[in-house]
Amino acid sequence: MILRHLHLSNFRNFIDAQVSFTSGVNAIVGTNGQGKTSLAEALGFLSTTKSFRGVPTEAMIRDSTHTAFIRARVLHADGREVTIDARLTNQGRNQVLVNGKKLPKIRDLLGILRTTVFSPDDLDLVKSGPHLRRDYLDDTLAALAKKYDALRLDVDRIVRQRNAVLKQSGGRLNSAVASMLDLWDEKFSISGTQLGAARLELAEKLTPLIVHAYEELAQRPSDITISYSPEWLTVGLAKSLVEARVEDLRRLITTVGPHRDDFEITINSLPARTHASQGEQRTMALALRLAVHRLIGEQVGETPILILDDVLSELDPDRARSLLQHFPVGQVLITTASELPVEAHIAKKVEIRGGTIISAPESD
Amino acid sequence: MASAYTQPMQALIDALSRLPGIGPKSAQRIAFHLIKCEERDVEQLSSAITKAKTMVKFCQRCFNFSESDLCQYCGDDRRDATTICVVEESRDVIAIEKTREFSGQYHVLLGTINPLDGVGPEQLKIRELLQRIEPQGVKEVILCLNPNTEGDVTSMYLARVLRPLGVKVTRIASGLPVGGDLEYADELTLGRALEGRREVVG
Repeated sequence: MILRHLHLSNFRNFIDAQVSFTSGVNAIVGTNGQGKTSLAEALGFLSTTKSFRGVPTEAMIRDSTHTAFIRARVLHADGREVTIDARLTNQGRNQVLVNGKKLPKIRDLLGILRTTVFSPDDLDLVKSGPHLRRDYLDDTLAALAKKYDALRLDVDRIVRQRNAVLKQSGGRLNSAVASMLDLWDEKFSISGTQLGAARLELAEKLTPLIVHAYEELAQRPSDITISYSPEWLTVGLAKSLVEARVEDLRRLITTVGPHRDDFEITINSLPARTHASQGEQRTMALALRLAVHRLIGEQVGETPILILDDVLSELDPDRARSLLQHFPVGQVLITTASELPVEAHIAKKVEIRGGTIISAPESD
Repeated sequence: MASAYTQPMQALIDALSRLPGIGPKSAQRIAFHLIKCEERDVEQLSSAITKAKTMVKFCQRCFNFSESDLCQYCGDDRRDATTICVVEESRDVIAIEKTREFSGQYHVLLGTINPLDGVGPEQLKIRELLQRIEPQGVKEVILCLNPNTEGDVTSMYLARVLRPLGVKVTRIASGLPVGGDLEYADELTLGRALEGRREVVG
């Protein structure tokens, strides 16, 4: 998949800016605060309908305006060219058009523009609590097949509904509460187990890819283990829920299930979350993204656009060099505050200054 | 937080935003529109609401909207009383009637099991459904609830309480739109349609 052209208006600090890209490595150069990340964010929005900065739509609309537009022209591997238009508004619903046709649901956008984004915030993927790692697995599942997007929403809904039953019970188990818990447990067992099984299968596929990406960046063999092995999945969710019922009624929340899972990473037999160095954590975060990038390319048959936001300032020089030398196949957009070394094989350089794009001629 | 609006305006916005599908911003827009409207138009709207509210009642048997004690389907003895189609809302009855494929009776639950909204089985017309089974000699109950989390759970619950009464419980299939192209079906729908496949008669 290749992004050919991007048009932003009233998006973040861009009043009206257009830029074309080429296949291969595109460098987006500019000092801090000029709009590099915003550009990456706009593309991220078109592929996930969310900001990877985790902010609401309003934050992406330029100050004192009400509507932001993003238009992207994308060339698919099969030769189709697709134009995606997104209209972000702080009044009412966002709207998305694909080839001029309005999408009934904004979620239908998933899969039309595929991107893998790595940003400095991804350090949290390794460093912070389990929910980001669950999202990492579930986002990947949703990118592989839409049914998983529906499944994760279903599981999320079930947990919230089940928690509501627990709260309303006030911790007292009478026959009505028991009957409602039985009912939600039955539904939870079906959907939760499907999600757990899908995560397990995915984790098994990703593990060798993560190890490979990490070792390539670190340029040496490393002792890495990755495990997704929730106890409830072995025991069975139905049985685990029965066993946890007393505890659930005491705490008035659902204490067991896929919504509490973790995806544990160790480096040299120690948990990466708490024991790895900052450099190792950054390398691991990037390896996690690169692994998904490769898996999606292989499974979907369409290599996503790799967007690396400010990655060079984050990695030590050796690792940065090895990243530039081992770029995966496909289009790469890399934002940077400094010039990129020759090894990066830049096909196109785009300069950004204060929300204005100064495009250099293509060198290929 | 102090409101930026005068009290009557804020009360109108609050009342509107309690309507289904209306968020705070839509409520604001509608409120402003109503204030700008001709008095006559506003009176027409408010009298239409009052009139509908007093004239439209629920059918005593199936809880569909009705102007009399029994709705047009429960009151029609040409309809098969041994098959009941269970739906969430009256608007679903209209959708199914349009198909002209169903000649049985309906039962409107007036919602689905939804603890987050404080709705359990007692708040729905489930007891009334169970009470219809024996007197009407019901043989089959068709569950036509939305294929979402709450619809699934409500269907599971109904199957659980209906089966001991010796009645066949079925649920409508999720699947492909007729006349559509397989190629353009979204993968979720296509996946469900595959799951619910049937043997070909021939």
